[in-house]
Amino acid sequence: MAVEAQIPYQEALDVHHPHSWLTRYWFSQDHKVIAIQYGITAIGVGLVALVLSGMMRLQLGFPDSFDFIDPEAYYQFITMHGMIMVIYLLTALLLGGFGNYLVPLMCGARDMVFPFVNMISYHVYFASVLILLASYFVPGGPTGAGWTLYPPQAILTGTPGVDWGILTMLVSLAVFIVAFTMGGLNYVTTILQARTRGMSLMRMPLSIWGIFMATVLGLLAFPALFVSAVMMILDKTIGTSFFMPAISSLGEQLDYSGGSPLLFQHLFWFFGHPEVYIVALPAFGIVSDLISTHARKNIFGYRMMVWAIVAIGVLSFIVWAHHMYVSGMHPYFGFFFATTTLIIAVPTAIKVYNWTLTLLRANIHMTVPMLFSIAFVITFVVGGLTGLFLGNVIVDVPLSDTYFVVAHFHMVMGVSPILVIFGAIYHWYPKMTGKMLDDRIGQVHFWITFLGTYAIYYPMHYLGFVGVPRRYFANGEMAIIDESVLLLNQGITIAALIVGVAQILFIWNLIYSYYRGRDSGPNPWKATTLEWQTPETPPRHGNWESTLPTVHRWAYDYSVPGAKDDFIPQSEPPGGEHEGSART
Amino acid sequence: MADTGQQHPISIYFWIWGLLFVFSAASYMVDYAGFQGYLRWSLIIIFMMLKAGFIVAIFMHMRWERVALITAIMLPPGALLVLVSLMAWESDYTWMTRIVYLGGEIAPEPLPPPSH
Amino acid sequence: MAEATSTQRLQLVEDWSADVAVFKGVPWGKAMMWIFLLSDTFIFTSFLTGYMTVRMTTAEPWPNPSEVFALDAFGVPVPLLLIAIMTFILISSSGTMAMAVNMGYRRKRKAAAVLMIVTAIFGASFVGMQMFEWTKLIVDEGVRPWSNPMGASQFGACFFMITGFHGLHVSAGVVYLAIVATRVWRGRYEEKGYDIVEITGLYWHFVDLVWVFIFAFFYLW
Repeated sequence: MAVEAQIPYQEALDVHHPHSWLTRYWFSQDHKVIAIQYGITAIGVGLVALVLSGMMRLQLGFPDSFDFIDPEAYYQFITMHGMIMVIYLLTALLLGGFGNYLVPLMCGARDMVFPFVNMISYHVYFASVLILLASYFVPGGPTGAGWTLYPPQAILTGTPGVDWGILTMLVSLAVFIVAFTMGGLNYVTTILQARTRGMSLMRMPLSIWGIFMATVLGLLAFPALFVSAVMMILDKTIGTSFFMPAISSLGEQLDYSGGSPLLFQHLFWFFGHPEVYIVALPAFGIVSDLISTHARKNIFGYRMMVWAIVAIGVLSFIVWAHHMYVSGMHPYFGFFFATTTLIIAVPTAIKVYNWTLTLLRANIHMTVPMLFSIAFVITFVVGGLTGLFLGNVIVDVPLSDTYFVVAHFHMVMGVSPILVIFGAIYHWYPKMTGKMLDDRIGQVHFWITFLGTYAIYYPMHYLGFVGVPRRYFANGEMAIIDESVLLLNQGITIAALIVGVAQILFIWNLIYSYYRGRDSGPNPWKATTLEWQTPETPPRHGNWESTLPTVHRWAYDYSVPGAKDDFIPQSEPPGGEHEGSART
Repeated sequence: MADTGQQHPISIYFWIWGLLFVFSAASYMVDYAGFQGYLRWSLIIIFMMLKAGFIVAIFMHMRWERVALITAIMLPPGALLVLVSLMAWESDYTWMTRIVYLGGEIAPEPLPPPSH
Repeated sequence: MAEATSTQRLQLVEDWSADVAVFKGVPWGKAMMWIFLLSDTFIFTSFLTGYMTVRMTTAEPWPNPSEVFALDAFGVPVPLLLIAIMTFILISSSGTMAMAVNMGYRRKRKAAAVLMIVTAIFGASFVGMQMFEWTKLIVDEGVRPWSNPMGASQFGACFFMITGFHGLHVSAGVVYLAIVATRVWRGRYEEKGYDIVEITGLYWHFVDLVWVFIFAFFYLW
């Protein structure tokens, strides 16, 4: 009875049609416009972070050759690069961008449940990006505390940007969390309460499952970051001692006393570890759909995939202190957190097996999205396996704070999600614009990016083994540092610069194809999910005709024996295909 | 009927209102009477949980919601229980290391030493 | 109906396997408010966890709250007097809020609006007393966020941060209540129904709920 009450409510949802340029493109309440706004902003700020990483590589590959990179600037590059990539690019692009675009379309809704709140969400996010970038224009520049912002050093003299930069960083994070909460509440409520007829949770495409679970994680994990940001702002501005023990700085006893730096680390990682999965889960979900569509085969073990996503989400809240093995925390914690960390590898491994088994004997189309998907699986396996090393206390202790860690997390949560994002943009760009992205540029972009990232991060494992510490401006005359390290660093830097510059190809492709691209038609990949069945491409405001589509099957009816096409859209009623063969 | 919302006799709200007053007064009396130690702790926690339970169950209508909503809202805070208990354990350890290595003044009522 | 015979466990599975909506009959706004409150629970628990940690790790003596917050009544110091009054006021406001929700669903919109305004007045007086408490603590007792004469400096820091954040929630709730009450009075929800009163109520009860925990953990510990 409630179902009957809600569907007409949704169908009659008063879509506020825009009239002026400003309400159409800037203050738009259309989830698709908001998604593209999120996407462009995130990619824009991500390019800043990419340039920063290039400058770090210049210093590491060719020490002391560039006057504008001094140790202070280097630490500022590290901090801004890390924070932008994790929060302002990956989180915002995967949830604010793809989440916004795909959730209503794939669930068969007209829009998010509260479009106005959704609009505000983007503008608050935009404000947080502006505050973050303002770091470069305040006295002292941005903070150089590292993206983890550990106190006491983050707010003590000697760290770059200690006067203003740390404050703009913390305020920007708090503002970002407000923006994310407004958006995230919308995504979760839309998925839970506003799906179309026939769309049960177990018929949802895995993209939506990944985005859903990641958003839930975000809503529950960002509060810890918010709280630690508030507490650190208070420590910095009015001199409370939440995180600050009695300490002397530059030979002078400070007024702080009795605070607990470990508290910050715990709160930060209580947010920080779910954050890894906030980035990874949407990527897992999206890549499942890409693989299934471009291999023309149903995803292997759909239910297992869903439950793996749920299990990873739950477990991600009880593994946080594996980032703190060498922090001086309670010695028994290592056992607990190593155990939970290794348990979380089980559902993750299940997902990898299922992707592989989906590809097995499939009709694989080597399109650009497929290339990126396969690259993702390979990269993720490498990054995941090094995670097993670092998850064990006894192996982690010698590897802590070496380049091995840098290699691990860049592989597993840097490169992997970025590869999925590229694949997803190649996949959904036709729906967003009605034009295909250029295939040849895409292939070139893919091979440079994929091989290039291996050239960058693979040698870093070796650097870690020989003991090169991370976050060092220069290795200097350390006896433990081998001659080969410098050579390797030069190679990595050259690869990094090539990969960085190659992204111009991607940007160029986005712009060029928008004007000159081939018309895609409504469903160029012959995909089953609802967003490809919209009456118009790109979908107009309100997405559907006067009635919402009805879902009759799961999202993976590819190559069904006896069916007339090799795919059956989710909205296709039963009867057209061979009876009994389709999953319902 | 347009409203599908919660409708219950008003008397139940008065009952709960009264009960919350009683529990608040009782937990206040725990302090006033000067109970200490485990007795104080268990009484405070019991009254707190009773109050919280009644507010959520009756005033926020959780008792009459369907199980789907109840589970969705009540299960995630379990993660917080893990955080709080591990942090309590961790704090004991930090306190111990401070006493051992820094020789700070011991608080008048020292926390029970770690049991491990 | 099949539901009447099925156990609650089966109903749980049915609801989560259904199309359209998981929470049957729950309006979008109410679902969203519940999820927001869940998120806010994580915020307040993180604050309280931080407080617990610094309190348990400090080697300095912790000031005794029942002495610090004592108030002279007729010349006799009564521990936590003001806090007790504030607690009762907040509980009363929860009671009137619950009545307002009930009146809304009975479509007695003027009664609902009046009860909401009463709730808001209770809330505003709570904030007023909190300001009085802060003033007393700062001016008379010399408690500052960075130090206090009685012991560990984290006492003032946690107190001002946690009660301040709670006070902000109460103040926001008063504004929210006033807006919704005005609209209810004017009959804006006659067609859409009075779910909005329940949604406002959820927020308000949550604020009360948080106070229950602050009262237990900050004042009584």
